[in-house]
Amino acid sequence: MIPFTLVTKNLAKHKLRFVLTVLSLAVAIFLLCVLRSLVVALNAGVADAAANRVIVQSKVSLFVQMPQSYGPKLKLVDGVSSLVRWNWFGGYYQDPSNFFAQFATDPKELFDVYPELYLVDGTKEAFLADRKACLVGAETAAKYGIQVGDSFPIIGALYPTTDGSAWDFQVAGIYRSKKKSLDENTLFFHYDFLEKSLESGAASGPDGVGIFVLKVAPGYQPVEVMSEVDALFENGPQVVQATSESEFQAQFVSMVGNVPLLVSSIGGGVMIAILLAVLNTMLMSAREQTRDIGVLKALGFTDGSVFGILILQAFVLCGLGGALGILLAKMSEPGMARAIGSMFPGYQVTMPTLLEAGGATLAIGFLAGITPALRARALSVIDALRAVR
Amino acid sequence: MALVPLSYNLRSLAVRWSATLLTVFGIGATVAVLAGVLALQQGFETLFTESGRDDVIVFLRQGATNEGDSVFSLERAQILMKSLPEVETPEDGQPLIGAEMYLAVRRTKTDGGETNVPIRGVSQRSFDIYGDGVRIVEGRRLASGADEVVVGKKLVERIRDCQVGRTLTLNTTPFQVVGVFDSDGPFASEIWGDRDRIGEALERPVLNRVVAILKPGTDLADLAARMDADPQVPCKVLTEKEYLTSQTSALSFVLRGLGFFLALVMGTAAVFTATNTMLAALASRTYEIGILLALGYRPYAIFLSFLFEALVLGLAGGAVGCVLALPLNGVDTGAMNFQTFTEVAFAFRVTPQVMVTAVVFALILGLVGGTWPALRAASMRPTEAMRRV
Repeated sequence: MIPFTLVTKNLAKHKLRFVLTVLSLAVAIFLLCVLRSLVVALNAGVADAAANRVIVQSKVSLFVQMPQSYGPKLKLVDGVSSLVRWNWFGGYYQDPSNFFAQFATDPKELFDVYPELYLVDGTKEAFLADRKACLVGAETAAKYGIQVGDSFPIIGALYPTTDGSAWDFQVAGIYRSKKKSLDENTLFFHYDFLEKSLESGAASGPDGVGIFVLKVAPGYQPVEVMSEVDALFENGPQVVQATSESEFQAQFVSMVGNVPLLVSSIGGGVMIAILLAVLNTMLMSAREQTRDIGVLKALGFTDGSVFGILILQAFVLCGLGGALGILLAKMSEPGMARAIGSMFPGYQVTMPTLLEAGGATLAIGFLAGITPALRARALSVIDALRAVR
Repeated sequence: MALVPLSYNLRSLAVRWSATLLTVFGIGATVAVLAGVLALQQGFETLFTESGRDDVIVFLRQGATNEGDSVFSLERAQILMKSLPEVETPEDGQPLIGAEMYLAVRRTKTDGGETNVPIRGVSQRSFDIYGDGVRIVEGRRLASGADEVVVGKKLVERIRDCQVGRTLTLNTTPFQVVGVFDSDGPFASEIWGDRDRIGEALERPVLNRVVAILKPGTDLADLAARMDADPQVPCKVLTEKEYLTSQTSALSFVLRGLGFFLALVMGTAAVFTATNTMLAALASRTYEIGILLALGYRPYAIFLSFLFEALVLGLAGGAVGCVLALPLNGVDTGAMNFQTFTEVAFAFRVTPQVMVTAVVFALILGLVGGTWPALRAASMRPTEAMRRV
């Protein structure tokens, strides 16, 4: 039998210590959730990739563009129902540190190939009608206070204008995405606008297409479309690589390199630090309770229930700290997403992350509680009563 | 006025050795994580800044922030190179100026997965300009006009087909690996080939930057101002050192931000732990404090005494943290350079600066964690303290 009131009374005895331990646990679990969410964000695009999209890119380099002439040829490939061009614009707003992705794209086809895209403000018609119009991701719009109807001047680092001025985009809509395959930080504008500006000499920069995204018609196998596309340009002039959307996203994860390893090492350090802290608290309170344990045992409480009292104290302490940390992580989610969205689009504290954090909390509780609990169980009544505080 | 002997604190720490050790290691783990992140940042930054030379001048297209953004047509590069009387001309009559092509190409890592490796198309002039900065350590230099490449030393183990005798295929053209070169800077993570051959293979008839060595005594500021306003090929002029330093800003910013965030969050947890330990120390020594006060020690002496004890805990934690982080020194890693989106290999560097930061951080943790318990100790009354057992 375990007297539960004793568990709570013991914990409440040193209120400040109790609060500090719970808070440090909360902080550590919060940090674990954040770190884990960074890794989840990196992989978000992979997990949410659409099966019916094929991405065609240069096999040589991310930064090499394919000739415009590839577009019509790709459209003729069996099973391709529509196609959208994406071209990296590489500009910034006011200062190079205000970095987010901008793409020149085909406005009409964009909505067809990416059905997850929807507008929260503005209209599709307005975007299609004006060549200078752009769509801005809701996160970027919020970050820079951009609204529909505003002009959004972007300085083209990769595509500088001849007179040195900024590119003047008119915000026609604010978009969100139902899935993580599109992030909500991007600016999309008309491919025609870029092309005409290059032709007229108003701006300069590399001509061509960064990636083609093909929508595969129902009933066709994406794999077959891919191999046909690969074969089509096997002998150049620019060799291409057709992949599924998930592979395309996965390549970025691979390119970012050691981030998951770095994040898990940090997480390991956090776990060790917090385990030591909680263990310290548990040992301290167990030492102070030595006499109480003697009294309990003398009263006839079994070794098992004494063990239970002590381990339960650790679990209650950790449970509170962990729950607080998880709550903190979930509550800070929108703020964190905004702060690091341009670097980690799709930052989200998911259910598996929370479950892992919960598991980590229980593990800490167990590891921190087991030593003092075992020690208390083995303690003889006489030694316990004789103990000096 | 008399201070409490320091040996009193040291002995107290030794008597409560288990709590002391747990606290020290808890702080140590926190400090080690911070030191690790800082060592990563230092390694990355020194790779770039320390290898850059002041006498090598880099010309970029106006508005470009890195070589990838900077583009010169072949024609404009020729005009630029001929318009510079300031360039040093050695006895052979060939001015020390050369144009380079730069592109991040897709390569497969030896352990699978893709990464971006910079490929640099150079002329023999580049080798003359960098001199000892680029040393062939295996095989030979590439021959002009041949389909040959030399690879940076850091790539040999990491990237597939980067050993002497192997063949690297770029687009549709096979290139023979004829040598391995070493460099103290980021060049060691690059592939170098003949500029014209690489340009042709990649179907990229453009150049990305021009490098030169100027005649001694040339005023760089004057040159920069003149080139900025140049009617034919306006460009940005900076030293190699300035260029490389500017390349570190994005990743350094991220790593510093991460370090700061971790320090703040984990530091909070560590402060709570230190406070707990000191409060427990206080609780079990109330009687002793009463005696000290009764002996005539002033409250401020008690305050300083307990603060000293907390600082010792912090210092020991800092030392443990440094010892834990030290094995990282020299460990090779790779990170994404966000500016060019390429992976650079470098080693962690646990510099004296990192260690000092770590120890100071640990001392601050001890100080902040110890202030409240020390204040509490100092505000005790002798009679009450001695009565409380």
